[in-house]
Amino acid sequence: MRRNLARFAAASAMAITVLAASCPSAAGDLSIAIAPSVDNPADPQMGDHLVFETRLTNTGATPVLGVISWLSIVRVDPGQEAPIGLEDWSAEKAVTRASLAPGETIATDWPMRLIQDGHYRAVVSAASRDGTILAASPFADFTVRVKPVVQSARVIPVAAGVPLLLMLLFFMRRRASSSR
Amino acid sequence: MTPATLIARKEAGELLFSLRGLAWLLALCAALSSFTLLLVGSTELSLLDNAQVVCDMAGLITVLASLLALIVGIDATAGERERGSLVPLLLIPTPRRMILLGKLGGILIAWIAMFLLSIPYLWAVGSTGQNLAEGVALVAILGTPVVLTFGFLGMALGSWMPSARACLMTGMIALAVSASPLVIGPSLRQSAIGRIFDAINPLSGTVNAYDAVIIDGKPIIAQWPGLVLALAWLAIVLASAVAAFDRLSR
Amino acid sequence: MDLLDVNNLAVRIADKPILTDVSLSVSAGEIVGLLGPNGAGKSTTIAAMLGLLPRQQGTVAVLGQDPARAPFTIYRNIGVLPEQNGLYDWMSGEDYLAFFAALHGLSPESAMIAARLGAVGLSPRRGQRIGTYSRGMRQRLGLARALIGAPRLLVLDEPTNGLDPRGRHEVHALLRDLAAQGTGILMCTHLLDDVERLCRRVVVIADGRTRAEGTIPDLVARSEGASRYRLRLAAPPPSLAAVRGVGRIRQEGETWMIELEPGAAAETVWPELFGRGWKIVEIRDEGRGLESFYLSLTGLPERKAA
Repeated sequence: MRRNLARFAAASAMAITVLAASCPSAAGDLSIAIAPSVDNPADPQMGDHLVFETRLTNTGATPVLGVISWLSIVRVDPGQEAPIGLEDWSAEKAVTRASLAPGETIATDWPMRLIQDGHYRAVVSAASRDGTILAASPFADFTVRVKPVVQSARVIPVAAGVPLLLMLLFFMRRRASSSR
Repeated sequence: MTPATLIARKEAGELLFSLRGLAWLLALCAALSSFTLLLVGSTELSLLDNAQVVCDMAGLITVLASLLALIVGIDATAGERERGSLVPLLLIPTPRRMILLGKLGGILIAWIAMFLLSIPYLWAVGSTGQNLAEGVALVAILGTPVVLTFGFLGMALGSWMPSARACLMTGMIALAVSASPLVIGPSLRQSAIGRIFDAINPLSGTVNAYDAVIIDGKPIIAQWPGLVLALAWLAIVLASAVAAFDRLSR
Repeated sequence: MDLLDVNNLAVRIADKPILTDVSLSVSAGEIVGLLGPNGAGKSTTIAAMLGLLPRQQGTVAVLGQDPARAPFTIYRNIGVLPEQNGLYDWMSGEDYLAFFAALHGLSPESAMIAARLGAVGLSPRRGQRIGTYSRGMRQRLGLARALIGAPRLLVLDEPTNGLDPRGRHEVHALLRDLAAQGTGILMCTHLLDDVERLCRRVVVIADGRTRAEGTIPDLVARSEGASRYRLRLAAPPPSLAAVRGVGRIRQEGETWMIELEPGAAAETVWPELFGRGWKIVEIRDEGRGLESFYLSLTGLPERKAA
């Protein structure tokens, strides 16, 4: 618990904030706590990796059957609010468990790669198979700085230079053979 | 120098010093240059993540090099036969398989040349992102058997079929079918047939491995199934090329 | 011993009989002409006797060995100029010969290469790219390649193709020299003039089988019965109806070729033709050469006098 608190404290110093992280939300018998990994970069930019750690706990007195937990990310920039398709962002899309006993906890790391700049909000949800329980974590907000993806100063010399070099080699060879 | 080495050198010279071979390499570079320029010129594409760009570039290099290897393979057999330069080679006092080995070596040299030419492009689009080194390594490890598979297929077709044009058509169809998972939608790929096709298609396996390593950051060593698949196809096509070249009459 | 001995050779390609019964031989120091119309099977014969095509029947011995069993010993000691003489245009002539010398297990020493290039008159152009060569120069380079390794047997398919008169003369001299040194040469050509100048013996192939083999004087003598005359007419013949003593009548360009029946006397034919309204301007006797023999043996479908 102390370790978790330390993590949350460290996270608060970063651009990633977890709202109400110390107050796990609860719905029915499941509660989810979310925190950014201490290894996350302080000022993430496009291409960096982030990891969010969650603890899904059965706080009830009876087992929860068929637990599924999943990650959602939404973009919250004004005018560009939209859910993010996780195809490119994360290979970890869901965690399942046949049964979660009372008091038992599933700790999960949710790695992701930052594809595009902007302000985002991550949330992990969980549900039981029978549909009677739905829980969501607090929001974990983070900001991704823009990074130039492909630099024209690097691309143009290569795109023009390689074909020119090939042609130069060809003409040098031809000149060498015809001057013999 | 063994006859196989001499022939491999000749085949490499055919690519690097003949007008025809140079035109093929220039076409490869023109396609790669166009793609890289598109990345800086198109607003949509310029937003792509570096790793995604490197992955796309690796796939493009593999497909284009496979196409070029196919053409080189066909040219080394059917092309030479049509130009009338194959008979003098078949009449050298050397076993057929040494001649074939030399020609296969020529395809390997052609692929090395294409790979070296493609490295600057990978660097240009991926040096500011992640997993560039892994991407280059993976193109070398997985791209090599895939590209050679298509080169050897070209040689097998060139030895079997009567005209270079017929070989080219057949080879292009084979390459288009192999590359089709890259263009068909994910829903089709998720179907049972799509999954089976993906499972046996060396090009799919390679592109999936590029995705896993370059984008998802998985270890290269974990991509061994893709390598096994590519090597299996390489062995099958090599055996076909050997059988066809043995039967090559004139 | 014959350097080349082919007996009753039969070859099928895609289940189609291309050769049914071809026999020929070449001895040391002999130049043999292989003649036949287009599609007769000359190139197939060459390919089969070199082991490049499987044969269904017959025996082939090149330098005493079967090419299907001992191809490398044979290939080391023969030189071949195929009909379609493809070269590597991006190489220089010198590099090309050095490449094939190395493939034959010979040291690509410049003296040997220079000698071969000199023999075919290509020394001044040895460093130039083959792509810049004329057709005749390409043919000479192909011949130089065939001479690598001092072959005991040369198989040449249209060796003087594309050569100018001087080039032809030089190649003739070269082939005579080689034959004088003991090299056996099989020369496949359509140029009967080349054959008459160079060859002692001739083999004629038509429809996939050997139609005639022998020395040129013997063959010409055999065709004496079929005397041929070329007529120039002032006007087309009024009719091609049967004329006594005339076997066949065929138009060749502006002239008409008349082939008499064996034993027929020309003196009796001309009055008959004049009487039928043929306006004959000139009569040329063509009955005694190799061409006459060749045409009588392999002539294209002719207009038979009715």
